Order: sequence, then C-alpha cells, then structure tokens
Amino acid sequence: MLDGMLLGLETAFTFQNMFFAALGCFIGTIIGMLPGLGPMSVVAIMIPVSLQIGDPSTTLILLAGVYYGAIFGGSTSSILINAPGEAAVVATSFDGYPMARNGQAGKALTIAAISSFSGGTIGVVLLMFFAPALASFAILFWSAEYFALMLVGLSAISAFAGKGKVLKAIMMTILGLMLATVGESSLFQAPRFTLGIMDLQSGISFVTLAMGLFAVPEAFFLAIDKIRGEKSGSKQSQEINNLRINRKEAKAIVPVIGRQSIQGFLIGVMPGTGATIASFLGYAVERNLASPEERKEFGKGSIKGLSAPETANNAASTGSFVPLLTLGIPGSGTTAVLLGAFIALNLQPGPQLMVDRPEVFWSVILSMYFGNIILLVLNLPLVPYIAKLLTIPRSYLIPFVLFFAMAGAYIGQNNATELLLLLGFGVLAIIFRFADYPLPPLLIGFVLGQMFEDNLGRAMRNANGIQFIWERPMTLMLIFSAAIFILVPLIRDWLILKK
Amino acid sequence: MLNLNRIIALSLLAFSSAYGYLSYTYNLLPFERFLAVKPNTMPIGLSIAGIICSIAILIQPTDSNEIIEGDGTVNRADGEYLKNPHNFNWGQGVGLLILAFIYSISLRELGFILCTSTFLFLGGFILGNRRYILLITISISASVIFWYLVEKVLSIYLRPWPIWIF
Repeated sequence: MLDGMLLGLETAFTFQNMFFAALGCFIGTIIGMLPGLGPMSVVAIMIPVSLQIGDPSTTLILLAGVYYGAIFGGSTSSILINAPGEAAVVATSFDGYPMARNGQAGKALTIAAISSFSGGTIGVVLLMFFAPALASFAILFWSAEYFALMLVGLSAISAFAGKGKVLKAIMMTILGLMLATVGESSLFQAPRFTLGIMDLQSGISFVTLAMGLFAVPEAFFLAIDKIRGEKSGSKQSQEINNLRINRKEAKAIVPVIGRQSIQGFLIGVMPGTGATIASFLGYAVERNLASPEERKEFGKGSIKGLSAPETANNAASTGSFVPLLTLGIPGSGTTAVLLGAFIALNLQPGPQLMVDRPEVFWSVILSMYFGNIILLVLNLPLVPYIAKLLTIPRSYLIPFVLFFAMAGAYIGQNNATELLLLLGFGVLAIIFRFADYPLPPLLIGFVLGQMFEDNLGRAMRNANGIQFIWERPMTLMLIFSAAIFILVPLIRDWLILKK
Repeated sequence: MLNLNRIIALSLLAFSSAYGYLSYTYNLLPFERFLAVKPNTMPIGLSIAGIICSIAILIQPTDSNEIIEGDGTVNRADGEYLKNPHNFNWGQGVGLLILAFIYSISLRELGFILCTSTFLFLGGFILGNRRYILLITISISASVIFWYLVEKVLSIYLRPWPIWIF
C-alpha cells in the first residue's frame, strides 16, 4: 500500500497534474454556478475534452477537480440567489440564503468553502485508509436496508418544520412523493400519471421543480417587497464583504464539521445514496443536536445549518469514490459518468485497479487533497467579489434570478413545457408560502421518492411480501428510528397547538 | 373558519382524492397483476396518507399562521404580506410572473437571444428601471454571453434566432 501511495504521490504532484487539478476545480466552479448544470452534467460535458489529454491519471485528476468544483459552484448559487441547481445543495440554501439576505453573504460563502474543504479532506483521509474495508460493508446493504434508509431520510423532514408545521411538512413530503411517481420508473414498464402529456413521459425534472419551489417565489417576494431581508444600507455594505469568522463561530462549527465529515462519508460509501441524502440527514442531525436556542436559528441563517450540509455533501462525494474505485460500482449519478470515463480510458475500476494500476488509483485519491486545497485557495479570495452580486440593484438582479431559474430548466431540454411547469410550481409555491407550508420537505420527498419506491419494490419482490421488515434486523432498526423521528415531533407539535 | 390555510388543505384533500382515483383505476398490464409491488401500490398508499394528512390539517386545533411570525419589517414571515397587502408592490411581482409566462411561450419562436434580451429589459422596466441605454446594453450583452457559453463552449444547443430566420 505504501509503495502504491508513494507512486501515486509522485504522479499526482507533477506540475502537469497539479495544473489540471486546478483547472478542473476552476472550470467546475464556474459552470457549477449555472442552475441546471449539476456535477453530473458538468463532468459529462468535460469527458470528451479531457479524453484528449491522453494520460489516464491526468484525465481522471481533471475530472475529479471538475466534480469538486461543480459541487462548490452549486453551493454559491444556492446561497446567493436561492437557486439550488442540484439536489445535493438544496439543504445549503436553507440557512445559506437567509444569511446572504441578512447581509452576511461573505461569511456564508466562507463557511461553505471551509466546510466543503474540511468535509472533502477528511473524506479523502478516510478513503485512503478504509476504502477496501468499507466497500465490503457497503455491499451488505440490500434493497430492504436502502428502503429503510430512505425512510430515515424522509423522516428528516421534521427538522425543516417549525412549531405547528410538522403536519404540513408531512403533507408536503407526501406531495413530493406523489410528484416523483409521475413518468417512467425503472421498476415498471409504462409511464404513470402523465395525463396524456408527452413531455411528462420521463417525469418531472428535478431542476424544474427546485427552481419553481425556491427561485421563482424568491424573485416574486423580492419584487413585491423592496426592503425584504435587508439591513440598513451602510451596515449591509460593511458586512457583505466580511469573511471573518469569529472564535465563537469557529468553535460552533468545528464539531459539526467533525461529525458530518464522518457521517457524510459513510452515507456516500453506500451505493445509491450519495451527497443528497447525506446533506439532508446532516442538516437534520445537527438541528436535533443543537441547543433549543440554536435550534430557533435553523432556517433563519444558522451557521451550523449551513456548515452541516456543506460538509456532509462533500464528504459523501468523496465517499462515493469508494465503491467506484474498489468494486467498480458507481455510487451516484456522477460516479456513473466517471465510470464511463474509466472505461473510455481502458481502465476497469474494481479490486484489481489498486494492484494493476496503482499509480492511477493512488494519484486520483491523492489529487483530491490538492483539489480541495485549490478550491479553498481559489474561492476564498473570490468570495468578496462573488458576494457583491447581492449589491446589484434589484431592477437588474431580480430579472436575472428569474432568468437563471428558467434557463436552468430549459438548457439541454429545449422544451417550453419545462418552463410552464416551472412557473406553475412557482405560483403554487408562492401560495404555499403565504400559508406557511414548508417547501423543503416537498423537494426531499421528490428527490428520495424514486429511490424509495424502487428499493421498496425490489425488497418486496425479493421477500414476496413485507416480511423483510422484521426478518432483517438492520431494516427493522432503521424503520424504528424513522418512526421515532416522525412521531415525536408530531405529537409534541399537536400538544403545543392544543394548549 | 375558512382561511387560506384551510383552503389549501381542502385543495390538497381534493388533489389526494383525485390522485387516489387515478391510482385505483390505473390500467395494469396483464403480468403486473401478479407482481408483489404493482405500479399503483405506492400511489394508493400515498393517496390514503395524503387524505388522512390533509384532513388532520383541516381539524388541527390552532392555525399555525398565528404562531409563526417574522421579526419586524425586514425579515417578514411570508404570511405577513397578506395581512397588510397595500404596503407592497403586487403589480411588480405579478407583472414579472406574467412576463416570465410570455417568455416561456415565445422562447422557441423568437429564439434565445432576442427573447432573453427582451425579457431582461422588460423585467428591469417593470421594476422601475428607466436607464434605458444601460438596461438595453446589459440585457443584450448578458443574453449573448450566456448563449455563447452554453452553445459554443458547452456545446448544448440553444436556438439563437427566431424560428423564421433559420
């Protein structure tokens, strides 16, 4: 192992490879900021270009850099304009955007950069030392356990519901699950609930729904309310560029980073879960662990609420390399695209990769350290300039927010129906917000819905019924946890409202 | 009392019932009838859960709008907008949504550059911007740069001009 690491170190830290790692991070960050182009699309777009390089290590290092950069770029649009273009950064907007509206955009972007860096770096350390062992643990998870894990993910919705809103949050999750059943499914032959509309055959696009639920209502509320979320002009201009995190804040986020790096990485290791569920669960866990005073801040600009999903999604992205590199199983959509790149380079990821091509295996892993450092070095100096986007006069900013949301839904599909759907979801979201219905649970239900049904279906087919629930201890334990996560806040909520 | 909260709950009840009806009457393929999980198994479960949940919201003891409040003038809860509607620029918000709708239905016909430039210009105009030269310059240059980035750099097709030109 040590010989392989040294060989990888030698390969990764050549000038050429360091240059391409930095280039990948930069390209990924810039393109990742565009809503609708998540890491998977960005990596897919970059594959034909990167294959021209020829050297497998350099190609994979470039693509890994693009991957990391795209995740960070997605966080930026999520924080600044409440336009999460990718499922893994939805949770980032819950507290990142309120911070930005409170004049703390610089601080929010800094916390996001530091959390991403820490999550990614700790994830790489774990990847180096525990990859083979974790890979064998991950394959012990069958459909039944995945179904139960999705249930735990869905139960996290209580974290997004304030007092008196748990029932509404559950209703929104159910609505999200219903929307996820529209169109084709990997489990069944014919598309469902398309109402004869051809454009719904492949289902509702994530970007369309996310932009409709978050960006469109935000543009609307900013348009009707000139002082929405603003502090007095001078205070805002002083704070918006302020990147400093004071000692108290640093003390608050360090344990969050530690916990979420490990939790996010472990979730990322399991094929099919990835960064999205890691970020939602990370947010939910940290909210539940917070003191009652700190908990009140969640959803209004809590630094813990921002740091948790950012750390978790980066650690999970690193974790998703474990099944890819050690078993040849792509753990997420993006690693599936990366698997395509491996195959195009005549490399077969799996147990033999570490033996046959140690320089590729280790150089990819070691370049991740460098990629994370580059991301931090690249992004921190840019934060004041990126944050200044928010000082653009509203008559320019608001049409651009709306335009980016629509462009995200339209790009690649060239389909006007997506835009009409986006506006429809946007109007619905505005109405829901007037009555205080929380929208994140709707998106969580939608994101996890397909995986939830697929795994439930496979588990029931394997067991020919629902007996897998009590026959598999891990499944039973996870379902029991999910039930507690849902029922405790629900009962507490009901009692509060009854008083 | 029928407030927005309950009107939405009633609408969700109607939606869940309609979804349940569609799920129940879903035409299963012959072999699907014998599957452990049918295409309508989860949808039926979801519609039942939706009906129960929306009824529970309807009969919930207190209106949660009364509990969740913003913290004054700068960080309003969204429900506050309806309590004092005359304080806000509803025309600008609704105007933007109508403009976005027109953009959606004309994008294919007018092409990306013309349609987006017009949208950005009119969007700024609706929001009270009267610096026409600057607005036109920004609108056109932003549309062209975005189109160039997407079509030429990323190789994702976006029709730039109206359908009748090319």
